[in-house]
Amino acid sequence: MDTSMDFTLGLSQGVAWPWPIAVYLFFAGISGGALTIALALRFYLGQVENTAFLKAATLLSFVTISLGMLCLVLDLTNPLFFWRILVFYNLNSVMSIGVIALSVYIPLVAVVALLALEKELMAIPQLKFLAPIIAKLKGFRRPMEALALVLALSVCAYTGFLISALIRFPLINTSVLPALFIASGLSAGGASAKMLAVWLFKEPLHSGEMKILHGAEWPIMFAEAMFIFMIATALLTGNAGGQFAFAAFHEGVWASVFWIGVVGIGFAAPLLLNFATGKHFSHSAKAFYMSGMCAVVGMMCLRLFILLAGQNYAI
Amino acid sequence: MSENIERRRFLKSAGMCSLILTPLAGCSVKEDADSAHKPHYVMVFDQNKCVGCGDCKTACNQANNLPAGVSRVILEQQSGRVEGQACPHCGKMVCDCERKFVRVSCQQCKNAPCVTVCPTGAAHRDAKTGIVTMDASKCAGCKYCIGACPYNARLINNNTDVADNCDFCLHSKLSKGELPACVQSCKYDALIFGDANDPQSYVSKLLAVKDSVRIKPQFGTEPSLRYIPIVKLGV
Ligand code: SF4
Ligand code: SF4
Repeated sequence: MDTSMDFTLGLSQGVAWPWPIAVYLFFAGISGGALTIALALRFYLGQVENTAFLKAATLLSFVTISLGMLCLVLDLTNPLFFWRILVFYNLNSVMSIGVIALSVYIPLVAVVALLALEKELMAIPQLKFLAPIIAKLKGFRRPMEALALVLALSVCAYTGFLISALIRFPLINTSVLPALFIASGLSAGGASAKMLAVWLFKEPLHSGEMKILHGAEWPIMFAEAMFIFMIATALLTGNAGGQFAFAAFHEGVWASVFWIGVVGIGFAAPLLLNFATGKHFSHSAKAFYMSGMCAVVGMMCLRLFILLAGQNYAI
Repeated sequence: MSENIERRRFLKSAGMCSLILTPLAGCSVKEDADSAHKPHYVMVFDQNKCVGCGDCKTACNQANNLPAGVSRVILEQQSGRVEGQACPHCGKMVCDCERKFVRVSCQQCKNAPCVTVCPTGAAHRDAKTGIVTMDASKCAGCKYCIGACPYNARLINNNTDVADNCDFCLHSKLSKGELPACVQSCKYDALIFGDANDPQSYVSKLLAVKDSVRIKPQFGTEPSLRYIPIVKLGV
């Protein structure tokens, strides 16, 4: 008897969370990913100096999370109501927990960036007034960086938890999503920070640090591909709702976004650029920027695909 | 933030914890130890009686001051028939063949995802009646609840720019001791409303003798809307 009545109409038209939220997920992923990689590397190598990569990653991290916040606020039905999220809390809500994490994370990223970019900032006469502040903050640098590392990882993961709570959409409502978002955040965040380090902070293309980062890239990418594969198989072998949502992978415009954007540009292109071209080209700056851009575009497509294809296949 | 709110939140989370821990401890605690009677308001939609006149929708819009083009309740017409085309059964352009209607509105889940996900507590359960309703002054318009509601039964009220749902006319009618506007307006008695926890109520008696179904119970949200489907013999 239970299934003998149903309705298919809904009271709100279109998707609840349109593309600006995908852009937010993208920026938050880049921010958390870049900072995680930079700080993990810093602790792993026991660095005390401000490396070009750290400078690039902290700057990038701060800029992207700020842009992400902008997307988030502009997507509210009335952006002027934003303060309500900051004043009222519901600790059962993933979004509320995310807001708490972000309100510590954002200022912390700003401070970590301030310390990493000390030399650059002090070169600007108008910013001289920051000198005493920087001197004070320096004493807490290690613990602040450790906390920032934890929060950066949490921000990556939280964006996954945030949307996986939407139980109507089998593609989104999966427990693998936070892990997938961490992996793709690390790969795209790492790639963009690398590009920024080379371009803006003149890090040599083949420095020791860059070598480690290149080396870490492939396992992360492999994990990412595995997680996507896990989601797809779970849908295909799952119940009717899952099988219905599996169509996202092979029909409609979002399937193209997936195959061209995520698989083609995100995975295949960097692999080809690195392993299918001559050593001369694959070690060139051109190949470096191209495969970096591919990782970033691939991640944006992944966020778009998960969020929008996901919401299109409701059960 | 005022101390009062903090206190309330603490009590709420303490309550939450006990709700989570109670089944683990394997003992049952009377939920309403302090208050004498906790109502569970339910609505029954009888498909056999609904003719699809839409009076319920009009009454709802009026009672709850909804702007044009926005409704908390709609009727889905279910038949093989497409508007403007001939009926697949009798071939006429206007007919009554195979037509049935389903009420689409907030299912008043006992385990409501919209309440769980709402970051501000704007989507909440009314303390006295247990009805899922809105505190419009807290809603940030993030639309999380709209994505989280498994029934797509929430909407943005573009008069207030915040989320909205059918709350059995909690603020507009129930608080005055009246029945929900849709129930009052239905000329065909297709809507029945009352407290299922009161064995003397008409709904309780009705549900005891009638087979009713719930929409998508597999989501585990325990909806409070019951539907009595048209059952055709010999089909
Ligand atoms: S039907 Fe949707 S809006 Fe109504 S209580 Fe359930 S989750 Fe909330
Ligand atoms: S739109 Fe309003 S009611 Fe819905 S989850 Fe966001 S704050 Fe809560």
